[in-house]
Amino acid sequence: MSTPVLQVERLYMAYRRPEGWLEVLRDLSFQVAEGEFVTVIGPSGCGKTTLLRLIAGLIRPVSGQILLRGNPVFQPSREVGFVFQQPALLPWRTALENVALPLEVDGCSRKEALQKARALLRWVGLEGFENAYPTHLSGGMAQRVALARALIHDPSILLLDEPFGSLDALTRETLARELARLWEERRLTVLMVTHSVSEAVFLADRVLVLTPRPTTLAAEVPVSLPRPRDATLLEEPAFIALVREVRERLNWAQRSGSVTQTPNLWYNPPDNRANLVGTVSNATLESDRRTSGAVLPGYRD
Amino acid sequence: MKTTYISRILVVGISMLAFFGLWEGVVWLGGYPPFILPSPGQVVQRLGVLLADGSLWRHMGVTVGEILAGLALGTVVATALGYLLAHFPIAERLLSPYIIASQSVPVVAVAPLLVIWFGPGLLSKILVCALVVFFPILVNTIVGVRSVEPELRDLMRMLEANRWKTFWFLEVPAALPVLLSGLKIGATLSVIGAVVGEFVASNQGLGYLIKQGQQLYDTPLVFVGIGMLIALAQALYGTVALAERFLLRGHSIHTKEVR
Repeated sequence: MSTPVLQVERLYMAYRRPEGWLEVLRDLSFQVAEGEFVTVIGPSGCGKTTLLRLIAGLIRPVSGQILLRGNPVFQPSREVGFVFQQPALLPWRTALENVALPLEVDGCSRKEALQKARALLRWVGLEGFENAYPTHLSGGMAQRVALARALIHDPSILLLDEPFGSLDALTRETLARELARLWEERRLTVLMVTHSVSEAVFLADRVLVLTPRPTTLAAEVPVSLPRPRDATLLEEPAFIALVREVRERLNWAQRSGSVTQTPNLWYNPPDNRANLVGTVSNATLESDRRTSGAVLPGYRD
Repeated sequence: MKTTYISRILVVGISMLAFFGLWEGVVWLGGYPPFILPSPGQVVQRLGVLLADGSLWRHMGVTVGEILAGLALGTVVATALGYLLAHFPIAERLLSPYIIASQSVPVVAVAPLLVIWFGPGLLSKILVCALVVFFPILVNTIVGVRSVEPELRDLMRMLEANRWKTFWFLEVPAALPVLLSGLKIGATLSVIGAVVGEFVASNQGLGYLIKQGQQLYDTPLVFVGIGMLIALAQALYGTVALAERFLLRGHSIHTKEVR
């Protein structure tokens, strides 16, 4: 196998807060191969967006390194296509002009840029909306424009930061299916952050499950479901089993906290209870573990 | 669309007719002599005389020149400084006390000083004008540049846009609506600036005409001067508003706000 498109190696990240340093990422490593669709899922506030911003080169890590096609990332580059949580379209440009923006910034002729943008806009299913301004686009349409804009450079990797986060459930499902179709057509290399377990499984070749802050990798779940994937997949037992597995891993990660920091958190009885009751019987602990560890999938998410 | 436009003109026409009618009526009922309150007819008559000897155009030209030069100077300096202050908070902290101080002193009080320093000629009027225009445009530039969303800045960074390209593709269009509303305020204020300058010391311009009218008890002349200033301010405001409409035709959000 050739070198991975993206290598994240022993990444540490912390933010300075008035109260002190807030550790966000701790020793996070993973890779994304050419043409692979990897989704990242984790408890909210666990630094998923930070991770993407680091990979994009918008911020610098405390330590560790990020390699893009073998080259270390020091600053933002066109090699990375980024779709933010919000579409981030320029309100004074039409859909078409927004897609063409990256090329125009590069100094491409306007005509050429618009021509390429037109093709991409058609590809994401927005033919006929070329001259619409962002305020006249629905949330889902605006996100499609943002996707087309991120792709116009033919980036090495596409980073999606909860691109469907601000959309309603129905649009969200449609767009996820659409994204699967687009990916299958072009075999892009994608790293996508999401909050939805089923979305993560539906789209991915591999799901990365993250722990709460300080975040590290809790588990990697390979998804070897057949492609092309469509809505029928949602009812297949294999899919449901995978969703359950990811959810369990996520729950486990959420309960146990950061693995590297406190590997056996839920084996320790809470201090106050120990003081009140004196000694806690093994039986209580055992039952505690069962209820907390093996939560039925879907109960807490 | 068309009918609303016509009806708007109709409403303005009727209200103006009513205004002049009322004015004529007050003069007629009160029996005021022209040097207290001239009737609209007498003002128009005076206007005719001034137009005939060409002096009105001369004075008006001088004032318009002062206004345009002052407006241009004030706008250029204010936008450049505003851009700087928006990007460098240290500069803002350093300069804002002086900028605010310069605004807390009435222009009328500073104008004599400027005349002493820069002479009674055109330059001192241009400077007074620029001073008046400066502040609203400065503040609006800062607000405009700062209103650019951080995500859009990130986007420009992802596109490897340098400072100049970020300025051209993002900051200028993003700040334009706010900047233009600052310019609208500045345009009307610039008329005041020029007249204040002319009041202090001058031998030409609409301000000079008004002052002369006052000294000679030629009240119709004062009214002509005031009328011309109003027309000038309206024309300036209208020009900026038109430019705004043209420049912001793509700003789908902002056109709604601007109307």
